[in-house]
Amino acid sequence: MAKIKKKGASGQAKNYITRTQAVRKLQISLQDFRRLCIFKGIHPREPRNKKKVSKKATPATTFYYTRDIAYLLHEPLLQKFRDHKATAKKIARALGRDEVSDAKRLENSLPRMKLDHIVKERYPTFVDALRDLDDALSMLFLFANLPSTTAVPAKTIALCQRLCLEFEHYLIVSHSLKKTFLSIKGIYYQATVQGQDIMWLVPYRFVQKMTGDIDFRIMGTFIEFYTTLLGFVNYRLYTSIGLVYPPKFNASSDESGGELGAITLESKSISGPLAIQNGTSGNTASKAASAAAQAAADKVALQNGDAEEIPAQEEPSAEVEVVDDKIDTFETVTGEGADVLPQPQVSNTEAATLFSSFTFFLSRETPRAPLEFILKAFGCKRVGWDAVLGDGAFTTNERDPNITHQIVDRPNLPPNAFSAIKGGEDEAGAPAPGARSRVPGRIYVQPQWVWDCVNQGKLLRPDLYAPGATLPPHLSPWVKPKKGAYDPTAPLEEQEKEGEAELHAEEEGEESDAEEVEHANGGPFDAIFDDEVEAGEGMDVDGSESEGESEAEAAAEVDDEEEEDDEELSETEVERLRYQRELEAEAAGQPFATADAGQMPGKKPGEAKKKAELKKRAEKEELDRQRMMLPNKKRKLFDKMQYGNQKREAEAEKLRKKRRKLEKEKLAAQAAKAK
Amino acid sequence: MSTTNLSRKRKASTSNALPEPEIDSDAEFASDLLDGALSQSEDESFHSGSESEVEEEIEEDEEDEEDEEDEGDEDEADEESEDDDDGIREQLRNLSTSESRSRPTVNGKEPPVQEKEEVRIGAHMEDLETNYTVTTDANGNVRYVYQEIDPVYDSDDSDAGEQTNTIGNIPLSFYDSYPHIGYDINGKKIMRPAEGKALDALLDSIELPKGWTGLTDPMTGKPLKLSRYELEILKKITRNEVPADGYDPYPDMVEYFTNTEEIMPLSAAPEPKRRFIPSKHEAKRVMKLVKAIREGRIKPHREEAPEEEQNVVNYDIWADEQPRPDNTMHMPAPKLPPPGYEDSYHPPPEYLPSAKEKAAWEATDPEDRDRPYLPTDHAALRKVPGWDNVKMTFERCLDLYLAPRIRRSKLNIDPESLLPKLPSPDELRPFPSTCHTIFSGHTGRVRAVAVDPTGTVVASGGDDGTLRVWDILTGRQIWSRRLSREDAVDVLAWRPGTDAFILTAAVAETLYFILPHALPSVTPAIGRASLALLDAGFGYAAKPTSSTDHGLKKEPSATWSRPSAALADDGVLLQAVLRAPIKAITWHRRGDYLATVAPRGQSHAVAIHTLSRHATQLPFRKLKGLPQTAAFHPSKPIFFVATQRSVRSYDLAAQQLLRILQPGARWISSIDVHPGGDNVLVGTYDRRLLWHDLDLSTKPYKTLRYHEKAIRAVKFHKGGLPLFADASDDGTVQVFHGKVVGDLMENATIVPLKVLRGHAVTGALGVLGLDWHPVQPWVVSAGADGTCRVWC
Repeated sequence: MAKIKKKGASGQAKNYITRTQAVRKLQISLQDFRRLCIFKGIHPREPRNKKKVSKKATPATTFYYTRDIAYLLHEPLLQKFRDHKATAKKIARALGRDEVSDAKRLENSLPRMKLDHIVKERYPTFVDALRDLDDALSMLFLFANLPSTTAVPAKTIALCQRLCLEFEHYLIVSHSLKKTFLSIKGIYYQATVQGQDIMWLVPYRFVQKMTGDIDFRIMGTFIEFYTTLLGFVNYRLYTSIGLVYPPKFNASSDESGGELGAITLESKSISGPLAIQNGTSGNTASKAASAAAQAAADKVALQNGDAEEIPAQEEPSAEVEVVDDKIDTFETVTGEGADVLPQPQVSNTEAATLFSSFTFFLSRETPRAPLEFILKAFGCKRVGWDAVLGDGAFTTNERDPNITHQIVDRPNLPPNAFSAIKGGEDEAGAPAPGARSRVPGRIYVQPQWVWDCVNQGKLLRPDLYAPGATLPPHLSPWVKPKKGAYDPTAPLEEQEKEGEAELHAEEEGEESDAEEVEHANGGPFDAIFDDEVEAGEGMDVDGSESEGESEAEAAAEVDDEEEEDDEELSETEVERLRYQRELEAEAAGQPFATADAGQMPGKKPGEAKKKAELKKRAEKEELDRQRMMLPNKKRKLFDKMQYGNQKREAEAEKLRKKRRKLEKEKLAAQAAKAK
Repeated sequence: MSTTNLSRKRKASTSNALPEPEIDSDAEFASDLLDGALSQSEDESFHSGSESEVEEEIEEDEEDEEDEEDEGDEDEADEESEDDDDGIREQLRNLSTSESRSRPTVNGKEPPVQEKEEVRIGAHMEDLETNYTVTTDANGNVRYVYQEIDPVYDSDDSDAGEQTNTIGNIPLSFYDSYPHIGYDINGKKIMRPAEGKALDALLDSIELPKGWTGLTDPMTGKPLKLSRYELEILKKITRNEVPADGYDPYPDMVEYFTNTEEIMPLSAAPEPKRRFIPSKHEAKRVMKLVKAIREGRIKPHREEAPEEEQNVVNYDIWADEQPRPDNTMHMPAPKLPPPGYEDSYHPPPEYLPSAKEKAAWEATDPEDRDRPYLPTDHAALRKVPGWDNVKMTFERCLDLYLAPRIRRSKLNIDPESLLPKLPSPDELRPFPSTCHTIFSGHTGRVRAVAVDPTGTVVASGGDDGTLRVWDILTGRQIWSRRLSREDAVDVLAWRPGTDAFILTAAVAETLYFILPHALPSVTPAIGRASLALLDAGFGYAAKPTSSTDHGLKKEPSATWSRPSAALADDGVLLQAVLRAPIKAITWHRRGDYLATVAPRGQSHAVAIHTLSRHATQLPFRKLKGLPQTAAFHPSKPIFFVATQRSVRSYDLAAQQLLRILQPGARWISSIDVHPGGDNVLVGTYDRRLLWHDLDLSTKPYKTLRYHEKAIRAVKFHKGGLPLFADASDDGTVQVFHGKVVGDLMENATIVPLKVLRGHAVTGALGVLGLDWHPVQPWVVSAGADGTCRVWC
């Protein structure tokens, strides 16, 4: 007889450990355990069989791998935690005795945790680190925009800001930003660094809600690790392209809202400041020099900008040469490869030159930080903005003749509207309305133009994005066209199934008929609510629609019944009927065509539907026939897959239907206009 | 040998060692007796050899095994020693040259121990051979006598306890009549120590030996002696004194501090000044430290680098990166999916929810929503409101460290690939696909339908008790006859073969044989042939029943007779009345036999009738299960009977059971045998259609479940087309392609072809009967809606 095995002594029961057991084994508090797990990237595991794993009747919820926990036992951080706890006790005691200086001294001697070894452990290679950078960047960018509170100290925020700016600088220099997207949650960016796609989300600059059940200690732990990680990543990235890390950080510029401009990159070889910002950086330098004159009038600034213009043009050439070698070699490689392997992404050179020949000016209502970053990442050398938006602009003068594009995000007022409001007296020399008026020879666009150009890798028609124009829809660059899925970029005719359009048209026709009937019925109300109904989305319209639909449904039912009857008759029957009709028509002395015509239009609306239904039925029959022959197991799998596909298809069809309706409305509106 | 000897001697001497110091030191102890006592004791020990030898034995127990082994020999030697055979001893002593004898010999006598030693010389020469002794057996050969193994714990221990008497706490007088005084731990007798002769006893009584107590040790039976030391201790204990020597129970107290308080100080000198002024030396040392601190040589606290510098990375952590080997347990966190079109701040208008969708979204519980937000359109970037990014990020954080990660293999198969490649129905033509003719005329359900062997007419019978014959092409009713007013026509069957034209119909217990005269296909010749067939049996009918049952007058299994004249005029020429309502009729291929099944007939359930003799046989006296239907094998003398759950096939020639098919169904409704004879189709009320391949197994080869309701009838096409069909209560007739290949290696191919819909479901019944045209791919179905349909 085999030896009787003791329960819970081997196998799964031994491989997994509950959280409580883990905490006991490590002899630390739960909070410390959490921190340790976050730092080390240890997460719970789902055992195959929970019952086998748990030693108690009620299975525990969280299990860790025993080996993971055993591996935590040797973590040097564990000792740090204990030291920290001991010192914290000492501080508490000192404070209790009113020994403030002692407490202060002890506080200074609190053990500092270094997470370097953990970074190396979790990401043995640099590529591993890049692969896992998504969450880190999203979180750091969020914290860089948070207000400082007791939970989130200002120091942390400053550190996050600095690291994020450094990372952005690297992307600008290496032109590795690929795509970006304005969503309702914030701005998504995607960069490709060393072949790894990194995507992160930067929230819009609003004061974030910090309330609710949010544990900032957990977030803080993550931030602690992520800052260490991004620091090392930045170091590696900077050194890989021959830049000095850390770059010079200009605190005063940062305080005056310099953001990207507050950091100056230095090349290792030249050791002089590598002017990435070019004109902009020159401007900052001059501004720093004349710190006192910062609040000077626009005139001075304008002069400054003019004076700076020449060196600004010289500097880029030097800089471009430095970077050029790199770009060129890289480009040839991709160029060769491009013949063999088509690359869907924008190549680095394209990215580097997309906006290189333009000078942008950002109006004060536009989001400066993302625009500046994107424009520079795609090759723009000179970005100016309104002085309100902060330090570091190429020019703050809106009337600068160098400016080729101005990004505005305000409703298009008629040119004379402002003067009309203001009255005639200011007209002569008032700068404000003058500044608002268009400068000739300059392209005015809305911010979305920049994003759409970047995503498509080419310059789009600016007139579509002119101020006040209805913008074309902003599409996510990451959605890949899938079979059967709806693609808003492709024309409707390519996507729809055979006969779908007619079917929809009929349905709509019925609906509209019903609506018309409704309108006709509610005569007096029509007159009253006419405007509202036309305007669109009132409750009244909803009501009428639903009613109309119900009626339409009723009508459809009647139709269906009739159709069913029709279908029962085979084609020969139909032929026969038709023949009989002809005969009747002949007998009545009418020409057959009219009879036919008289019958056909009445028949026509149902025809497409019928056809589609017939086809559908035939397809279904065929499918059923095939399905019959599947074994039970496969049939279930098939049904499951069919379910998903059908759901997707239904969604796509719904979207197509909506679009068809919209297009129809649009056509109707155009026709009405033409009339 | 010498070592053992030495140790032995040491032992011997220690036993004697105690008295010796006493001799020197003890003065107070009965000095007058000392000499005599000593001599007496010595004398005794050496004179009374047997006693001393016992002592030796006791001592030897404490020693090595080597010594113990020869106890027997020793006893022998003891006896010898009593003989005082000095000469032999001398010789032996001379043999052991290496032996050093420190023990003094008194009276020229050797302690018997040594003699034993000499016997064992050979044994001691080699260490390996120490566990046996060499003796000679009766034949004079060498005999190895192995030592007895003492199986006690620590039996190899030299420190084993002294031999003790194990008799326990009983008076020794119990043993007075025995030569022994008890048993040792091994169960061996402890012999009574030899008592001295009367003179010795007298001497003992006069001169008390040293340590004499007058007591006998109950353990050994010897007189108990106490040493002086022991006596001393006893004495002290009796006097309540401290037994140990040199212990002072009341030592003098040593006072570490004086307990006397001086009233006046010894010194009246004033306190020196240096006790009041700070130490210059200390001041000097402090100043040194202060100076060092001022100069910065000593830093009072560890200097902390500013926070900013600490956070700045200044080395490359991945300078010597080594990729980690891929491990399945290492699972990086899954990335978040990229945003789609509906996440856009300005999505395409078709993505915006309609008012209805919006309302539906708002009505659902936040947890049930498939998306936490609705796509919203913002005309311009400046109009985009804020979003709760903190909460979103926090949730992601929780996911990262709290959520267990599992690798899930995502199935990415095109569902189409799962579907089998079926031949297109067009390739498998011809098969029935449309309704060609509808025969309506029956009131109530049509129960059965049958196409005649020539394929020109269709007979149908229904709940109205009528039997109707229709033209298959036009749907015209040619002939009709009401067979019963109360009962329905349950089953119909045409006699196979074109030589005659006989229709059998079952109404309740009665089986009718009908020759419809009016039919155009009934030529006079065929009519005559049919009549002859039906009449051939008259005359046979009475005989068998009377001959077999004399006294009992058993009821005949069937009564064959001519029906009433009215019926006979209409062509109903013969009837056989059975005992239970008939539910199934099947004809043998030759047309002479037919089998009927009446499920409620018990032992009369299955009957085989011979038309030519008007005879009825009941092949099964006892049948397991409720019979449902039966079928003849198309070519062999095999008969299939379907009971409720299984199908049995019997060899009619050999009259034995061939096979029991287990379709696994709960209730079989109908069966049909393939014209090839190797495949059986079983339809069941539990919605299954089962194809049995008789060559393969008793289990179904294919199970088809495509009906929503019970299957009523199944039929193979008998005219050479690879078709079969089934009729179900869901109002459909399903047509299949079922091709059977002659090759044994190849299985039958079954392809669903067509679902024929048309019959209305009335009263939860759909299609009740089914029959194929004998040649054409046409199928005729009988519906519960009162119509029959021809599908072609």
